[in-house]
Amino acid sequence: MRTSPAGNGRSFANLVLAIALAVAGWNRFAAASRRHAETAVIRVMVPASERPFWRPIAERFARTHPGARVELVEGAESTDLREDLYTASLLARDPTFDLVYMDVTWTAKFAAAGWLRPLDRLFTAAECESLLPVALAAGRYSGRLYRIPVRTDVGVLYCRRDLLEAARLPAPQTMDQLFATAKRLQSPPLRWGFVWQGKQYEGLVCNYLELLSGCGGFWVDPETQEVGLDRPEARRALSFMVRCLAADGISPPGATTYQEEESRRLFQDGRAVFLRNWPYVWSLAQAGDSPVRDRIDVVPMVHEPGRRGWSTLGGWGLGLSSYSRHPGLAADLVRIVISLEGQRWLCARTGFAPARREAYRDPELLAANPFLVRIGALHQHALARPTIPRYDMASDILQRHLSAALTGGETVSGALAAAAQETRRVLGPRVPGR
Amino acid sequence: MRFTQSSRERLALLMPAALLLGVVVVIPIGRLVLLSFERTELNTGLGSRFAGLAMHARLWQDGRWWGSLGNTLVFTLGSVGIEMLLGVTFAVLLDQSFPGRRWARAIVLVPWALPTAVMALAWGWIFNDSFGVLNDLLTRAGLLHGPVAWLGRPGTAMAAMVVADVWKTTPFVALVVLAGLQGIPRSTLDAARIDGATPSQLLWRVVLPLIRPACLVALAFRVAQGFGAFDLPYVMTGGGPGGSTETVSLYAYRSFYRYLDFGYGAATAVEGAGMALLLFAAILWLSSRAREAV
Repeated sequence: MRTSPAGNGRSFANLVLAIALAVAGWNRFAAASRRHAETAVIRVMVPASERPFWRPIAERFARTHPGARVELVEGAESTDLREDLYTASLLARDPTFDLVYMDVTWTAKFAAAGWLRPLDRLFTAAECESLLPVALAAGRYSGRLYRIPVRTDVGVLYCRRDLLEAARLPAPQTMDQLFATAKRLQSPPLRWGFVWQGKQYEGLVCNYLELLSGCGGFWVDPETQEVGLDRPEARRALSFMVRCLAADGISPPGATTYQEEESRRLFQDGRAVFLRNWPYVWSLAQAGDSPVRDRIDVVPMVHEPGRRGWSTLGGWGLGLSSYSRHPGLAADLVRIVISLEGQRWLCARTGFAPARREAYRDPELLAANPFLVRIGALHQHALARPTIPRYDMASDILQRHLSAALTGGETVSGALAAAAQETRRVLGPRVPGR
Repeated sequence: MRFTQSSRERLALLMPAALLLGVVVVIPIGRLVLLSFERTELNTGLGSRFAGLAMHARLWQDGRWWGSLGNTLVFTLGSVGIEMLLGVTFAVLLDQSFPGRRWARAIVLVPWALPTAVMALAWGWIFNDSFGVLNDLLTRAGLLHGPVAWLGRPGTAMAAMVVADVWKTTPFVALVVLAGLQGIPRSTLDAARIDGATPSQLLWRVVLPLIRPACLVALAFRVAQGFGAFDLPYVMTGGGPGGSTETVSLYAYRSFYRYLDFGYGAATAVEGAGMALLLFAAILWLSSRAREAV
C-alpha cells in the first residue's frame, strides 16, 4: 500500500473511533437487554432427550408464577460433558444456571467447592420426608442438604425367565448359584452366562460395590474416612469378577470393555442369560421388536450366602446454585418437580424411577410402568456411593486397579492393596471416634 | 521498494496481530505456568495459595503421571512413525500421474475430514469382541478361534488406538508431503535423469532430501498432536484397561475438571508440553545426524 503517512494516521484514528463507538454501543445494548430480562428467568440444563418431559413442569411454573418463566437449556447426553459445562459455569461464578441437575456423585464436590446453597431452610421436613430416604441422604454433605432427588436408579439383575423355566432352575440368589446356573445355561460364544460393565469407568465401580456389599464389605466410610478395600470381603468380591472372566467362566472376555449399552445389546439379542444393569433396560427389552420380550425377569443382585443383595444407587437431583439471583423461585420449581404431578410428567413416559415415595403407589404411574413396583422394593437395600469431596479421585483409583485386576495386569490382592493405600493417601488421616 | 512509514506506524500495523496472539496465546500460557505454582484446596471453597514447586514435586512422585507419560510416548512414537512412513509412500504414489488421480487424492483425504470423536466411537465398535467387524473377519478367515477383546488388554488396546490414529492422520502427512513434492522443480529432476540417476537414486538422493522440510513440518504437527492426544483415548478406552492408555492430556483434564485440582492439572500440562518439546528436539537432532551420515 502506498498512501501518504498522514492519510494512514487519519485512518488509524478513524479505526480507534470506530472501536470506541462499537464498545459504547455494546454497553447500551447490554444495559437494554438487562432491563428487558427483569422478568425472572430460572435456568436449568437437562439432557436434550429429557427436555420434552420437563416442559409441562416449566409450563406449570409459568402459570403459577406470573412474571417468571423457566428456560430449559438443552445439554449434551453425556453425563461427563454436562458436568464439565456446569463446572465451567460455576467456576466463573456465572449466574446463568439457577438450578444444577446433578448426578448422585456430584453432591460433595460441588458443595465443598461452595457452588451450592444449603437447602435445609428452603424445604420443610414434610417435603423432605415425602422423598425416598436413601436418595435424600445421598444429597447431604457435612450435615447439610444440598441436593433434592428427583429421580433414582438402582442396579438390578436381569435374567432370562424362559431359559430358567425350561431348565427348572430358580433365579439365583447367591454368587455361587449365579455362576453355576449361568454355566449350565450358557453356550459361548453364541450365548454367554453373565454380562456386566467391566470397562474402566464409573459403571465398573457400581458393579463392584454391589458385590462388595453382598460380601459384607465396604469401600469408604464417609464419616470416619476408613477404607475397606484391603479386607478379605473386598478380595472375595473382586475374585468373583475375575472368576467370571476366566477361560472356563461365564462372562465374555469383552466384558472388560463394556459399558451399559454393549452389555444390554448382548442381552437383548438373546445372547446372555444374566445381565447386571439399570432399570432403563426393562422398557427397551420389553419393546415390541425385542427378541427377549416377555421372556425376562428382574431380581435383586446376588450376594454371599447368609447376606442380602444390594443395589448401587444412582439417579438425578436438583441443587441450587450459589450464584442464582432467584433462589426462592428456583426452590419453587424444585417443589413442582417433586410433586406427584411433576413426577408423573417426568417418569410416566420415560420409565424413570421417581424419587417421591407416594409415586410408587400412584395408579397412574403404575399403569404406565408396572415395573415400578419391583424397583420401589429395591430401594430398601440401595447403596449410596460415599459423599466425599474427592469422590472422583477415589473412584478413579478404584477403577484403575479393578480394571488392572480384571485384565491380568495386577493380582486381586495386589490391586486392592494398592487401591486401599492410594485411597488413604487421597482422603488424608482417619477421623477418630463414631 | 520504499519504506515511507515511520516505525510508529509499523508498530501500529503490527498491533492487531500482536494483541490477538497476546490475548489468546501468551496470556493463557503465562497464566497456566503461574497456576502450576499454586495449590488449590477443594475443602476451602477452591481457595488457591502459592505453593512454589510443590505441585511439580508431587508430579515427579506420582506413578500415574509417569505411567501416562509412558503411554503418551508409546502412542506418539508408534503412530507418528507409521504415519510418516505411510504418508510419504502415499504422497509419492499420488504424485505420479495415473487415471483418476484427482479422485484418489480426494478420497485419501476423507478420514482426515472426520471428527476424531465420531471416528473413535466407530473404531471402538470395530474392535468390540461380540459385534466387532474385525473379529468377524478374522474368524471367517480362520485366523481366530474365539472372540478377542481388543480393547480389553493393555497391549492390544494401545495397538488399537495407534491403528485408529494412523487411519485418521496418515492423509494429513500425505497432504503436506505431497505439497512438498509438487514444489520440486521439474528441471532438477530432469537434470538428475540426464546425469544418469536410476529411479531409486532419484528417490533417495534427490526427492527425499528435497522434501525433508515438508516432512519436518508434518512431523512437528504430528508430534504435537500425538502428544496432546485426548479425544481418541477419552472415547475409545477411557484410559483403560488399568490405566494403560491414559495419556498426559487425559490426566491433566481429569485433574482440572474432575478433581478441581487446578494447580496440579496445570503442572501436568506444563510438564507434558515441556516433554513434547524435548521429544521434538530429540527427533530433529536425530534426523539431522542421520542426514549427515548419508
